[in-house]
Amino acid sequence: MGGRIPTRGSRRGQRARGQRARGQRAGGGGQRARGAEGPGAEVAGPAPRGTGAGRARRSRGGGTQEGLGGGELGVEEPATAAVARAMSARNLGTELDLSWISKIQVNQPAVLRRAEQIQARRMVKKEWQAAWLLKAVTFIDLTTLSGDDTSSNVQRLCYKAKYPIREDLLKALNVHDKGLTTAAVCVYPARVCDAVKALKAAGSTIPVASVATGFPAGQTHLKTRLEEIRLAVEDGATEIDVVINRTLVLTGQWEGSDFIKTSTGKETVNATFPVAIVMLRAIRDFFWKTGNKIGFKPAGGIRSAKDSLAWLSLIKEELGDEWLTPELFRIGASTLLSDIERQIYHHVTGRYAAYHDLPMS
Amino acid sequence: MRIGHDLTVRVPAPYEEPVGRAWLDTQDRHLGHYVNGKWLKPEHRNSVPCRDPITGENLASCPQAQAEDVAAAVEAARTAWENWSGLPGASRAQYLTRLAKMIQKHQRLLWTLESLVTGRAVREVRDRDIPLAQQLLQWHAVQAYTQEETLAGWEPMGVIGLILSPTFSFLEMMWRICPALAVGCTVVVLVPPGSPTPLLLAQLAGELGSFPGILNVINGPASLGPILASQPGVQKVTFCGAVEEGRVLRRTLAGQGAELGLALGAESLLVLTEAADVDSAVEGVVDAAWSDRSAGGLRLLIQESVWDETMRRLQERMARLRGGRGLDGAVDMGARGAAAHDLAQRYVREAQSQGAQVFQAGDVPSVSPFFPPTLVSDLPPASPCTQAEVPWPVVVASPFRTAKEALAVANGTPRGGSASVWSERLGQALELGYGLRVGTVWINAHGLRHPEVPTGGCKESGSSWHGGPDGLYEYLRPSGTPARLPSLSENLNYDTFGLAVPLTLPSGPEIGPSPAAPYGLFIGGRFQAPGARSSRCIQDSKGNLQAYVAEGGAKDIRGAVEAAHQAAPGWVSQPPGARASLLWALASALERRESAFTSALERHGVELKTAKVEVELSARRLRAWGARAQAQGHLLQVAELRGPVLRLREPLGVLAIVCPDEWPLLAFASLLAAALAHGNAVVLVPSGVCPIPALEVCQDMATLLPAGLVNVVTGDRDHLTRCLALHQDVQALWYFGSAQGSQFVEWASAGNLKPVWVNRGRPRAWDQEAQGAGPELGLRAARTKALWLPMGD
Repeated sequence: MGGRIPTRGSRRGQRARGQRARGQRAGGGGQRARGAEGPGAEVAGPAPRGTGAGRARRSRGGGTQEGLGGGELGVEEPATAAVARAMSARNLGTELDLSWISKIQVNQPAVLRRAEQIQARRMVKKEWQAAWLLKAVTFIDLTTLSGDDTSSNVQRLCYKAKYPIREDLLKALNVHDKGLTTAAVCVYPARVCDAVKALKAAGSTIPVASVATGFPAGQTHLKTRLEEIRLAVEDGATEIDVVINRTLVLTGQWEGSDFIKTSTGKETVNATFPVAIVMLRAIRDFFWKTGNKIGFKPAGGIRSAKDSLAWLSLIKEELGDEWLTPELFRIGASTLLSDIERQIYHHVTGRYAAYHDLPMS
Repeated sequence: MRIGHDLTVRVPAPYEEPVGRAWLDTQDRHLGHYVNGKWLKPEHRNSVPCRDPITGENLASCPQAQAEDVAAAVEAARTAWENWSGLPGASRAQYLTRLAKMIQKHQRLLWTLESLVTGRAVREVRDRDIPLAQQLLQWHAVQAYTQEETLAGWEPMGVIGLILSPTFSFLEMMWRICPALAVGCTVVVLVPPGSPTPLLLAQLAGELGSFPGILNVINGPASLGPILASQPGVQKVTFCGAVEEGRVLRRTLAGQGAELGLALGAESLLVLTEAADVDSAVEGVVDAAWSDRSAGGLRLLIQESVWDETMRRLQERMARLRGGRGLDGAVDMGARGAAAHDLAQRYVREAQSQGAQVFQAGDVPSVSPFFPPTLVSDLPPASPCTQAEVPWPVVVASPFRTAKEALAVANGTPRGGSASVWSERLGQALELGYGLRVGTVWINAHGLRHPEVPTGGCKESGSSWHGGPDGLYEYLRPSGTPARLPSLSENLNYDTFGLAVPLTLPSGPEIGPSPAAPYGLFIGGRFQAPGARSSRCIQDSKGNLQAYVAEGGAKDIRGAVEAAHQAAPGWVSQPPGARASLLWALASALERRESAFTSALERHGVELKTAKVEVELSARRLRAWGARAQAQGHLLQVAELRGPVLRLREPLGVLAIVCPDEWPLLAFASLLAAALAHGNAVVLVPSGVCPIPALEVCQDMATLLPAGLVNVVTGDRDHLTRCLALHQDVQALWYFGSAQGSQFVEWASAGNLKPVWVNRGRPRAWDQEAQGAGPELGLRAARTKALWLPMGD
């Protein structure tokens, strides 16, 4: 996925991230796709020279938020609008202009201070907190990326994606009819079939995302990586998280993408706020320069409800509310959802939940 | 329940604040003064309501202190001082540590109360002020512990009066009471009515039991300041507030017993170069003006080439700021009451009428006292608003072309508080950091503070310091210095003091050998005839005419100050080693002509032996300060910061010195050496009765020193003192003369708020090491600048 980082200990990691993230501001000039061609179309592949950074995605036809219409939920637009937006937001790429990169200044101590501030800045409480947490659910790429994944736990995951919060809790909050789901499920390519089947059985159109291209290292041949993507798409994946070829990045050969990710989630250090701040500012600059909105996905290490709120407020502060939509913001997480559900439980009942009170994913 | 855009736009997070109100209830909603470890609630006082600045709700009533309440508080502090100042530092350290723990225990009460009554965002108080208050106590506890060792030769001053104006938070009080208490002083704080947090702190301190009376807090208007200052035993008064209030206080307290320290104004400055991380700099602007971290507004200088980009980012960022009730945990900015609102409103309207563009944004309630983040640009350079202090939460942006121009613009205001420089180019950042005439410079950061780093200012921001070693010296004096007593002469007429130029008439027949041609004024490196074209005669101890010296006047002072300003930049840029070698060369010259100096002193009735000692000591002083020139400033390492903070010692600029009559050569040499060693350019008025030795030294200086670096003007001392004290472009003044002259100097210094050092008519033992060459001279001869250098890749 977007940029694995050769990190060994946090200091070195930070450095590598800084460099990489700066690079992202260039936006890249390659071909990549947010395929809006419609179901079944090939995901436009990686560029001839390397791989795209981040996520290539096929249209979901407004699918993520099935049933979430009605304007009450913020992410709400009807299907046609969502398609239109996906199309207009598609990153068509620009000429690679390396002067963008060379002009970028990032002051690390200042960014670290900002990161520290932002985590303490917004304290949302009570019903506002509950609402924020429900909103956070709609951004989650509910993920399982384990060596021992089987169809049964993928099936459980898909069910959880469709019913992320216990029905009675949603009822108590009066949002049970809003069709709240996670943004997507994210699995290994070999499990895409299982996921698509399970979601179909559950009557859901939640998109299936897959990591591909030699995840998590990305150190396989271009040919096999392309084939991996092709197979995953064939199985029904509509979004592909691509690990970029860092050999190319480090030699200054950039590519573009629809989404950028902090990391694969499989590193010793994953999504951190300072790195995210630099990446988000790059996204904003790219938008100002080209009019293209690039999505952002932090992944790895986001486990608590509190963390997720901090990430939401980070997006809100750095990019604004227009980025607070599943089209442009995802959180890659596996255990986050259960903590959010626990917090909602506490908000509704005033008690702390026991382990068995909430269904597992 | 709504999820979605609605909720993401408005995120109120009401904060429970019953504990603040509960504490007010314990006082029956009637606050008193906290004196001598207990509440003092005198009858028959005018009460002022303490209001919630946002709702206007009456939270409690506060009695205004009267003179007798002030006297009672000072009396308590004086009694406590006898015990407190005599304690070993370790005991004081223990007490301060206990107080820090006390704050920790009651932090919730402190932050809710502070936010409730001031309207500031609770998260700033909670996450920043309270931890800093604890750190301050802890750091100063360590200083108290090591005081006998590290501050040997200094003793606590006595009772300290602290006057806070309404715009300053309780943290400003902590910055000042911590060092005062640590070194052994006791404090009386005069807070504006309606600020209960200082009272709560005093109560917490009082409830530690052991030392009632070391911290007393009284409510009252700032007009009680002079009464506080004139109480017997009060040795120093520190004032935090607006510049004009400070000026008035400076004038009122001229000749009073207490020394006066001023910390004025709250405006800050931010210089954004094209080599900056603009996004981070924008966050710096938010910290500096559009948050509750700062007390004042911001002057923003943006390099032309990044003007458009920066403005766009600023406006974008402003739109995301959220204002509201301070107790709401999710606001960036609270509100600070109607007065602050009106001040900002007035400034913005005036700026608009003078042709400025005003941009306001942010999610802020549109009713008073809320005021939205405001960005003012295109303000014409000559408009009154450009010179006026920018109020919170206003940012005034103006462009600059080169770093040199940025320095000229930044240094072209009367303010000298704090500034930040944003540039990723190390050389440029340091050049700007060193060049800015302010007390604190942050490189690529804004508003960082730490107990170990001195904070203060120069120019009209006042020269009072807090934090770090400088903060400690504010409340210390060299051991053995007598207590300060008032030397107020009620009938001194400031308008006429030293106004008249004395008429020089022939003073009788010239007896004996005809004296040499009159000495001129030593200005710009050579002897010049005075503007008045007249001379005064100097008599020796027997009453015989010894020589004629020039009768200097206002124009000569003007010329001397100009010459000094021209020489100053060259002297500052000299490395300390070069300064030292010139001072040493001067010392050698003095020694070579020892006999001439000795005989000149002898003619004034100095015994031969003493005269020889005086010449020898003078040379030694020049050498000693020359040597010390090489050891200036030092490095501080701050815990939370990666990277150093430099404590620089910068010259004051043009320093005027009126030398004492006693020890005509030694005092002259001692003062001159200290001033030159620290990089100042000097205008001196030598001893009135015996100016000849000083003028003789000028003959050596003419060949050795750069022209204009030292200027010596003879003449009527009162008249010259008047000219120097009222000169707006003299950066500091040392006066050793009469009590009346001292009082005048203190009064006149209010003009440009130059730091002054006066002796109030008391002679000094210049031949003693402590008084003639002690560290006190070094402290006064330079000003501190803290330069923050955060590092990171």
